[in-house]
Amino acid sequence: MSPLSADLLRIESVSKRFGAVQALSEVSFCVSQQEIVGFAGENGAGKSTLIKILAGIHTADQGAVFLNQKPYAPKDPNAAGRAGLAVFHQEIPICPHLSITANIFLGTQMPKRHFMPDWRVMEARCVDLYRVLLDEDVNPRALIRDVSAAERQLALLVRVLSREAKLIILDEPTTALTPPEVGRLFRVIQNLRAKGISFIFVSHMLEELVELSDRIVVLRDGRHIGTLAREAFELGTLSGMIAGRTLTPPTRDLPSSEQRTVLDVRNLSLTGHFSSVTFSLRAGEILGIAGLTGSGRSVLVRSLFGLHKVESGEVTINNRQIRIRSPHDAIRQGIGYIPEDRKTLGLFPHQDIKTNLYIARTAQRADLLFKDTAGMRDSAASMKKELSIKFRHEDDLIGSLSGGNQQKVLLSRWLLLKPAIILMNEPTRGVDVGAKKEIYDLMFALTLRGFSFIITSSAIEELLVLSDRVLVMNRGRVRTILNRAEATKESIIHAATT
Amino acid sequence: MQRLPESTYAGKGRANDARHPTSGFRGAWSRAFLMRDFGIAVVALLIGLGFSLASPVFLSTYNLLNLLRQTAELGIIAMAMTMLIISGEFDLSVGAIYAVTGVVTGLLAKRFGLEIWAAAICGLASALILGLLNGLLVTTTKINSFIATLSTMMVYRGIAMVLSQGQPISSFQFETAFFDIMGRGKGFGTIPVPIFWMAAWGVLLFLLLHRTAFGVKLYATGDNPEAATLAGIKITQVKRVGFLITSLAAGLAGLVSLGYLKTVTPTQGTGLELEAIAAAVIGGTSMAGGVGSIVGTFIGTFIMAEVRTGLVLLGTDAYIQDAFVGLVIALAVIVNIKLTDRRNAKG
Repeated sequence: MSPLSADLLRIESVSKRFGAVQALSEVSFCVSQQEIVGFAGENGAGKSTLIKILAGIHTADQGAVFLNQKPYAPKDPNAAGRAGLAVFHQEIPICPHLSITANIFLGTQMPKRHFMPDWRVMEARCVDLYRVLLDEDVNPRALIRDVSAAERQLALLVRVLSREAKLIILDEPTTALTPPEVGRLFRVIQNLRAKGISFIFVSHMLEELVELSDRIVVLRDGRHIGTLAREAFELGTLSGMIAGRTLTPPTRDLPSSEQRTVLDVRNLSLTGHFSSVTFSLRAGEILGIAGLTGSGRSVLVRSLFGLHKVESGEVTINNRQIRIRSPHDAIRQGIGYIPEDRKTLGLFPHQDIKTNLYIARTAQRADLLFKDTAGMRDSAASMKKELSIKFRHEDDLIGSLSGGNQQKVLLSRWLLLKPAIILMNEPTRGVDVGAKKEIYDLMFALTLRGFSFIITSSAIEELLVLSDRVLVMNRGRVRTILNRAEATKESIIHAATT
Repeated sequence: MQRLPESTYAGKGRANDARHPTSGFRGAWSRAFLMRDFGIAVVALLIGLGFSLASPVFLSTYNLLNLLRQTAELGIIAMAMTMLIISGEFDLSVGAIYAVTGVVTGLLAKRFGLEIWAAAICGLASALILGLLNGLLVTTTKINSFIATLSTMMVYRGIAMVLSQGQPISSFQFETAFFDIMGRGKGFGTIPVPIFWMAAWGVLLFLLLHRTAFGVKLYATGDNPEAATLAGIKITQVKRVGFLITSLAAGLAGLVSLGYLKTVTPTQGTGLELEAIAAAVIGGTSMAGGVGSIVGTFIGTFIMAEVRTGLVLLGTDAYIQDAFVGLVIALAVIVNIKLTDRRNAKG
C-alpha cells in the first residue's frame, strides 16, 4: 500500500440516506496518486450516489472526504471542478455544433484579439494540448457532431485536463464505444496515469475493470464489501462479490440437429454492407453473429428486420419465402427485434410499463379498435411472473425500472407475439451482473420452448456463453460458421480479422 | 435484498405508489391530486374564482354559456392539435384551412348556387385535402413541420384570398336550417349549438386518443419515433392521420363560424393556430411529443376564454387584453409545471 501522504482522495465512513433507503453506509477507501481504482457493483449498490457526493451533486449525511489532505465538500459540480476533480457521465455534456477547440475553451478566459476570441491561438493550443496530454493528433476545427463518440470523450478529457483536473471519475465510459476505441481510450488513460493523473473507473463490464484497474472496490447495498488488489483479480471472485452469491456460468444442452429449420437465408446482399450471406437457423437455436465494426453484422441483423432494403437474396421462414420491407412486415412474419440501445431505440419514457410491454401487439391492432387495457394488464401480470420482472404496478412509468428489468420488458414485448425468431443486438448492454445471468437463463429457457435467437454483441465472451453456433462476418461476407466446440475467443478473432 | 431502483437517484422518481393510494377521504384526495389534469383544473378554478369575486356577472349561466360559445371554434381546433402535437408534429396552417373551408363553402353556395349542405361537404373535403398535403409534405420530405406548415399556412391563406378576391362573402339569400344547426340555434332552449359541436368533437377525440389502439400509437410515435418504428408502428401513417384530423377540425370550426356569423372573411382565423398551440400547452401537452390529453387542452382553451371574458366584464381597455392573455399563458404553464413536479416528487 502506498504511504498515507500519497493519498489523493480519502473517503472516511461516508453515509447517505434517501428517505427510507440507506444508499451508502460507512464507506471508506482511498485513491492514491497515479492510481486507477475500479468501482464495481450492481445498479443500486451505491456507486452513483458516491460519485454524486464527490461531484458535489449530493452531500454526505455522515463521514468525511479529503482531497489532497484537505477536507473536501464541494457545494456544486463547479466547486468540484475547481478542486481538481472531474466527473464523466454516460451522457457527455458537450456542444455538438461547435468545434473541438470551442468545446475545450468554452467557459474559460478565451484569448482575445481586437475584443474577439482569437481562434488561431486557441486552435494552436488545442493541438498542443492533444500532443502533450494524449500524444494524439487532432483536427481542432472538426465539429463535435461530425466526430465519433470516442473523439468526443477525448475532447472532454482534454477539456478537464486543461483545467488542472487531478482525479477523473469515468462513469461507464465505454458503453458507446467499439472494441478498438475502447483499447485506444484505455491506452490514453494509462498514459495519463503515468503523467500523474488518478482515475476512478466505473463499469458493468468486469473484463474492462480487470484490464484497466490497479485496485477494484466492490460496493453492494451501499456497503464497501471489499477491495481486490491487482494480483487477486479473478472474474469469478469479482462477480461473486458483486452479486453477493456465487454465479455459476449458465449452461444448457444443445438443441438436437434434427430440429426443423426456422429461418433460411440465401445469398442476401446489400451493396456496401454485405454480400451473398447464406445461413440457416434451427428451432430452439441461438446463433451468434460476430465481426468487427463495419463487417456488416449489425446491418445484416437490421436488414432481417426490414430496416434496410436488401437488393437480392431469399429469406424463408418456416418454409415460406417472404419479403421484408419494413419492421411492420418483419413482425407479421414472426420476427422480433431488441435493439442495442434500450433508451433511445426501445423504450417510451413517458408511457407506463403495461403500454411499453404491450406496444408491439398494439401496433398490430386495427386503429379503431379499443386499446385492450385488460389485455395489457393481464400480459403485464403474466410476464411479471414468468420472467420475474420486478415492478410495483403496471401503471408506473417504465423509467422506474432498473436496466435489467427494462430489458425483460422489451423481451416480453416480443414474447407476447410468439415470434419464431428474436433478433437481439447487444442483449445485456448496461445490465448488471446478476440481471445478466438472469437474462441468459431466460433466453435458454425460451429456446427450450422453441424460440430461436440471432444475437450480435461486441463482447465475444457473451457470444461464446450464449451461442450454439457463431457466424463470423468479415468485410461483408460470411467468413465461417463455428459450432460450439470450435468457437473460442481466438478462433473468432482470427476469422474476423483475416 | 432490497434493490434501489435506478431512478431514485437519477432524480426522475415518480409518484408511482401514490398513484394507487389507499381508500378513504385522503385516498380520494390524493387520487384527485394525482389525476393527469388536476393541476390545470385548479388553475382554471382559481382564475374563475378571482373573476367572480371581481365581477358578480362572471358566474352567471348566461356569461358562462357565452364564454363557451365563443371558445368553441378554438376548442375544436386545439383538441385536434393536441393529438398532432402528441405525435410529435405541429400544424400552423389550421387558421388558413379554417378560412379556406368557409370561403369554399360560401362561394359554392352563393356564386354557384349549390345546396348549402353540399357546399359544406365540399368545404370539409377541401380542408381534408389541405391536411393531406400537409401530412405528405412533412412525412415525405422530413421537413420540420413547424416550417412546412408555416409555408402551407401562407399558401392556403393565399388560396382563400384569391378565391374570394379578398372580399367577405355574406348575405346568403336562401331559407335554410344550416345556419341554425351549425351555429345560431340553441339546444334545450338555452345552450348555443357551437357548444354541442365542441362537446361532440371533444368526446370523439377523447375516445380516439385515450381509448383506441390508434391513440396508443399516437403517443408512442411522439414519445420515441425510432422505438415506435421498431415496435412495428407505421409512424408516417400515424402522423398523416394526425394532420387529417387537425385539418378536419379546422374545417368543422370554419363551418361553425359560417353558421354563427352567416358570413365568411378570407382573413378569418389569423393567429388561431398559435392560440390552439397555446391552449394545448397550457393544458399540459409537451411540445416534445408523447404527453398530453384532450381534457387538459379543453381546460386550457377554457382558461384563455375565461381571461378574455373576465377582462371584458371588468371593463378593461381592449388594447391591453392580448397582453393579459399572454401573461396568463405563462402563469398557467408555470403553475401546471410546479403542481406536476410536486405530484411527481410525492412518490
